[in-house]
Amino acid sequence: MPDTLLSIQGLSAGTEDTPILHNINLSVDAGQTHVLMGPNGAGKSTLGHVIMGDPTFQVTSGSITFDGNDITELSPDKRSLAGIFLSYQAPVEVPGVPLYSFLRTICQMRPELKTTARKFRQRVADICKQLEMDDSFLTRELNVGFSGGEKKKIEMLQLLLLRPKLAILDETDSGLDVDALAIVSRGIEAYRQECDGALLIITHNTRILERLDVDRTHVMVRGNLVGAGDAALIDEIDANGFGRFEAALAAKGGAN
Amino acid sequence: MAATKTLAHVNVPAAQTWNYLRINDISFEVPVPTTKGEVLARLPRLFDAVETGVGAEAASWIVSASGDSRYVEVKAGTHRAEPIVIDIDAATGDVRDTGVLVREGAEATVVVAAHGHADEPSTSASLLRIVAERDAVVHLVEIVALGKGAQHLEGVGIDAADGALIEVRQYALGGDKVAVGICTNLAGRSARLVHDMRYIASGSEQLDVNHLARQRGRNTRSEIVTSGILADSAKKTMRETIDLIHGAKGATGNEIETVLVTGDNIVNKTLPTILCDEDDVAGNHGASIGSVSPEQLGYLADRGISTTEAEALFARAIFDDAVIHAPEAISRAAALSRAEEVLGSEIARDVAEGLGLVTDGEDA
Repeated sequence: MPDTLLSIQGLSAGTEDTPILHNINLSVDAGQTHVLMGPNGAGKSTLGHVIMGDPTFQVTSGSITFDGNDITELSPDKRSLAGIFLSYQAPVEVPGVPLYSFLRTICQMRPELKTTARKFRQRVADICKQLEMDDSFLTRELNVGFSGGEKKKIEMLQLLLLRPKLAILDETDSGLDVDALAIVSRGIEAYRQECDGALLIITHNTRILERLDVDRTHVMVRGNLVGAGDAALIDEIDANGFGRFEAALAAKGGAN
Repeated sequence: MAATKTLAHVNVPAAQTWNYLRINDISFEVPVPTTKGEVLARLPRLFDAVETGVGAEAASWIVSASGDSRYVEVKAGTHRAEPIVIDIDAATGDVRDTGVLVREGAEATVVVAAHGHADEPSTSASLLRIVAERDAVVHLVEIVALGKGAQHLEGVGIDAADGALIEVRQYALGGDKVAVGICTNLAGRSARLVHDMRYIASGSEQLDVNHLARQRGRNTRSEIVTSGILADSAKKTMRETIDLIHGAKGATGNEIETVLVTGDNIVNKTLPTILCDEDDVAGNHGASIGSVSPEQLGYLADRGISTTEAEALFARAIFDDAVIHAPEAISRAAALSRAEEVLGSEIARDVAEGLGLVTDGEDA
């Protein structure tokens, strides 16, 4: 397996009439934890969705390589099966589909996760316990009628079940109370420890990072990656905000 | 060949619409009852007043053709743990007439399970009338899971007194030609109906549904949620009526229907009606007809599920839900047997194993 799990080269993307991302270069090695920060509207979530292949956005130039394969043209379902997971900021409700049916289906379609129903039930029960989720959730419809915190736990349940090579967490911490945040943080920590997967965490809240060893921090401003550093950069941004990055981008004339 | 007669007006809605829409009723060709002589109503007379959704003509035929009637009474203040099961086998053309009286403050579960194949075209039917007294709680689970060659008529009528709660889970999972009609009369103050229907129709199957909630009592509530899948060249007609009758002050009724269309030649007709003869009431209807939304497809794709697989997931989900909510062995077996025909044996077994109903291969 190559050390570089995700490699984004010269990527520009946007909607039909609005460019959003500009010449993005980003690499994530297998097993590493990267954090993507930036002011609201910087394009962080868009980058997560473009990596996942969201058809809402068109790639106008550049490439995305994952696990040694160019996935720039690959559909989202294929990217998911290849090992990329995007945790939604606002998980979509799917009425009519019990959570159990959904979880069973997404696991059975992955040869490496295919197992007997009994073992699957046990695995789900173990993760539910880990995330302090009630088993009765499984017979309820996918994301329907759940609170914001419960929906995020369901995202974590999927993450731990699917064991992807790369998990992109799009503001998974938003809208969580202290207790739910602690549980979700434990879920992310468990993913790192049990699956040795890579993480790209999009966040404004550094509390979710407290249990993690961050390898690299990236800063995005107006669709441009304008800074990078180690974990210390998070504390600096916490203290000083994004002002210096915005000023630097303006000075370069790179704002769009 | 046995003599037949035509039931011209089955599943007649509370209010008619233009005839050219061909949605005002459905006709059935049924065997002439073989009972000789006069057929007497065998149930206590209080059931005669219970209106069923399938219509008077069909109800009368079912009573005549049933040959026998079954009456069950649940004593006041008791909780009957064992479900009252109405077992209908299409292979033998079963016709059942059942009356259930749930006395004041009692709670009971009633199961109607129609299942099986017929080598020759067959007709099966059930007429179920329930009287729920003050503060009674009734859980009704209907599973119509028929195979090829089977036509089926299913009529339900429920009278609910003050404070009674009626919970209905209705699954239409198959059958060449199926009519299900359910009428709930919320007669008492604060009586409630929570009605959830799921269906799947594929091939050339024809499904005809009549849901009628008559709200007579003050502060009555009805919630009717219907969702289903139409595939291939299936035909479905759905009549949903909330009747807010004069005097039902403070009553509210909601009905919502979601249809997922996966076939190119399906016929989908819906007649949503809210009748209102009282000022201080609220009635709502919502409908969503089409395919899975782009947002939902996007979410599922991000978990590895393609559009085609998403449709299969929705189909499986209906059977999962039916098996989850089937409260006893006959109805569960009916749903699983039909799942095997629609989804294939591997997935059907997985459904059963997943819910712990059978031991998986390793344990065998």
